[in-house]
Amino acid sequence: MLNSMMKTKIFAWVDRRTDAGAIIKSQLTEYPAPKNLNYMWNFGSLALLVLVLQILTGVFLAMYYKPSAAVSYGQYTVAFDSVERIMRDVNFGWLIRYMHAVGASAFFVVVYMHIGRGLYYGSYKEPRELLWIIGVVILLIMQGAAFFGYLLPWGQMSFWGATVITNLFGALPVIGEYLQQLLRGGFAVGDPTLNRFFSLHYLFPLLLAAIVGGHIHALHVVHSNNPEGIDLTKEEEKIMFHPYYTVKDAFGVGVFLLFYCYFVFFNPHAWGYFIEVDNYVPANALSTPPHIAPVWYLTPWYTILRSFPDKLVGVLAMGGSLAILFALPFLDRSKVRSARYRPVFKQMVILFFIDVIVLGYCGHEPPTPVLKLVGQVATAYYFAFFFLLLIVPKFEKTKPEPEGI
Amino acid sequence: MTEKANESRRNFLYLAAGGLGGVAAAATIVPFIGSMLPAADTLAASKTEYDVTTVAAGQLVVILWQGKPVFITNRTPELLKEVDGHDDMLKDKDSKAIPEVSQPWMNDPDRVKYRSIKPEYLVVSAICTHLGCIPGYKPTAGRKDWGDSVPADWPGGWHCPCHGSKYDISGRVINGSPAPFNLHALPYKYTSDTTVLIG
Repeated sequence: MLNSMMKTKIFAWVDRRTDAGAIIKSQLTEYPAPKNLNYMWNFGSLALLVLVLQILTGVFLAMYYKPSAAVSYGQYTVAFDSVERIMRDVNFGWLIRYMHAVGASAFFVVVYMHIGRGLYYGSYKEPRELLWIIGVVILLIMQGAAFFGYLLPWGQMSFWGATVITNLFGALPVIGEYLQQLLRGGFAVGDPTLNRFFSLHYLFPLLLAAIVGGHIHALHVVHSNNPEGIDLTKEEEKIMFHPYYTVKDAFGVGVFLLFYCYFVFFNPHAWGYFIEVDNYVPANALSTPPHIAPVWYLTPWYTILRSFPDKLVGVLAMGGSLAILFALPFLDRSKVRSARYRPVFKQMVILFFIDVIVLGYCGHEPPTPVLKLVGQVATAYYFAFFFLLLIVPKFEKTKPEPEGI
Repeated sequence: MTEKANESRRNFLYLAAGGLGGVAAAATIVPFIGSMLPAADTLAASKTEYDVTTVAAGQLVVILWQGKPVFITNRTPELLKEVDGHDDMLKDKDSKAIPEVSQPWMNDPDRVKYRSIKPEYLVVSAICTHLGCIPGYKPTAGRKDWGDSVPADWPGGWHCPCHGSKYDISGRVINGSPAPFNLHALPYKYTSDTTVLIG
């Protein structure tokens, strides 16, 4: 279909003025990709799909959502009521809102898989350092967008989640209080906070779309890594992106949609993991819910925060746990990329994946003394993983890499 | 890979997969477009009650019903007389051109002429049938009160500020107006001697 479209006169007219044909050929249809990519390489295109779904559903939700903490007729608030109106009165509003809420979690599932793939196969190493760094920027913006979005329903979890996170910034010396008021637009989370969070929640996905463009451009300059982690020099080691990977990505989309639709249609709250029950209680500035935790995709970092008895150290550790991702390409000096040929790194990185899941579990549960200790051990390993990477190459006996694929 | 691909089988699979994908994409559009149509609470038939005795003799009141403006006038005997004598100037004197300009309660010649249940109280849509403005009220006949903004044979009624459409004192459109139809009649009834319920 694309081929016949590219033969039309209209396309020829556009092509003479934009070079569109050459761009489509070099970046999509005839873009050379390694022939041995496994299914872990599907998550990049899935992340792009979910980003599009989130922007699409978000634009339609914004047609009915009202960012106001003003008290409404029923003694709730305008924002809370507008979300309930979307659920009850707007045609297909329930579907679009559940797509958006489930989509937020799906986005992080897909992106965490994508990041894990990059870690395991060494995709962050030379020459892909900047590609990795752009990816970390995308992760941070995603977490920001998710955090801003979570305030919008103006339920109890929204309100107290935003209160806790904006208080984190208050822990910083000297500028803390100023920064906190800058974020809140007042002395506590309130109507001005809700308005600016809505504005930023709309802005961040637009930033994401632009930076994702940069991420893909950077990828197409240095080209995809592959499960063997070796540089591909021979032509026969590569296949054209179209039709081989367009079809494989489309198959991945089908499998993804199976899971996505199950949650959207049959289990949108996902046992309280995607949408917390307490968030159906309208925001109340006079009463904190008995158990308060962020949504699952932020809980690993929440555990790192509360593993330290000192407020400022906890805040810095949480920030550092994300910031250290930027340094990863420069911490790991091993020339071998893929964990397949690095026996020590392989065990470390699998343990790291388990560690992050343990951190996530600890952050989701109420803090008991045992869980607190588990969280502290997991936090210790989280940081140890990155610093051990500095010394591992000095003693690790790597396996011989294949000549080609 | 075989030496020669089975082209017809491959084309069938392309068409089948692409076709189903297209159907799925088209089905996905339905809820998104659907969400932009009026929501259930907007559609829910809202009813408006109004006590017509609060409209003084000769006065015009504009109220909202389902978010749309409605004229309620209290026509004095002099204004009621203006309903007659200009049938030749009207596009649709019996309100028959389209269903919207009449109502089941217009069941005798007087109600058709006055376009109201009680002759003095006219309850009629305030939306000009041309492009939706609210016409200005110029109830008295002739140019005495209005100067040459109205024709010399002005029977009294409404004059739209947007594009000059003219309606008589029963809301019937006058020849020469860009508006095609009379002001729409409304489904209303008297729930007591003085209260009308619209909707």
